[in-house]
Amino acid sequence: MTGRHIVVGQAVLPVELTPDAITLLRFGAVTRNAHRIHYDAEFARSEGLSGPVVMAQLHGCLFHRAAAEFAGEDGQVREVEWQNRAPARVGERLVVTGTVRAVGGVDGEITLDLVEHCGTGDVVCCRGRAVVALR
Amino acid sequence: MFRNAELEQVEERARASMGRWERRSLGVVRAEDAAEFARAAGESAPRLVDPGHADFAVHPMYVVSLLRGAPGADASEFRPDGMYRDEVPGTDGLGVRLMAGGQAVRWVAAARAGDRIELRRTLTAVERKGSGEGFLLLTVEKVYGSARGTLVEVTERFIVR
Repeated sequence: MTGRHIVVGQAVLPVELTPDAITLLRFGAVTRNAHRIHYDAEFARSEGLSGPVVMAQLHGCLFHRAAAEFAGEDGQVREVEWQNRAPARVGERLVVTGTVRAVGGVDGEITLDLVEHCGTGDVVCCRGRAVVALR
Repeated sequence: MFRNAELEQVEERARASMGRWERRSLGVVRAEDAAEFARAAGESAPRLVDPGHADFAVHPMYVVSLLRGAPGADASEFRPDGMYRDEVPGTDGLGVRLMAGGQAVRWVAAARAGDRIELRRTLTAVERKGSGEGFLLLTVEKVYGSARGTLVEVTERFIVR
C-alpha cells in the first residue's frame, strides 16, 4: 500500500489542455470521428453552436489524466464519469480540477469529484467523478 | 408531443429498439495507433506515447473513444452531419441534431496491443427532457471485450434535438 495520507476535501492537482483545430483534426482522425461540429465552422453554427467544439472523448481523456495523476504511477483508475454541461470551443483552455469526495470504499478506493472549466474559467464544460485505487 | 415530427419518429424508433443488443468489431488494437491517440489527446508520458517503451500501455481511453475500427466506413455509412448512421439509435435518415451527453467508463481489465475488440451495445433508456422544443436523452450501455473477456463497460448518453 502507498504511504500517502489521503483525506476528504484534498485537492486534485489541475490538468489542462488547449485543443486547437489541429488537435481536433488529429483526435478525430485517430478515433474515426467525422462529426462536422468538430471541424466545420459553418456547419457548427447551423447547429446552434458558436463554432467547432471539442469531442466528448477528449474531455474524457482530460478527466482520466486528472485521475491518473492523482493515483500516481503505481495507482489505478477504475472509473471515470463526466456529463457535458456546455460546449467547449476550439482554442479554449480546458482545466480539470477536483477534490477527494470519499476515501476507503471497496478495496481502499478513493472517489474524486472532478470539474472541467473552459475559456476564461467561469464556464463549466463538464462535471464528473473518478474512482481510483492507490497501491 | 414534440413539435418536431422527426423527434417523434426518433423516439418511436428508439423505444422499439430498446433492449436489442448489437455487435460491432473494432478490429485489433495496434500499439502505434494507441500511441498516436495518446499524443493527439495531449499525453507526453513515454509509456503512453512510445510503443517501444518497456512499459508501454494502451491509453485506457483509446478503445472506448474509437467510433469505428480499421478500415473505417464506406461513404454510405455516414449521415450528412458526418456522424455514422447507426451511431445514435433511431436517428438514421432524419435531420435531427446530435450531441454527446456524457459517459461513465468502468475498466475491468486493460486493453493490450493485439487484442481483437468486440463491442456490444444496447439502448436502455429513452427520456424526454427540457421544455419548449425539448430534446431526447438516449442512454446506451456498451461492453467492450476481447478473447480475454470483458475489458470495459460504458454508459453513454446522447442528446437528440
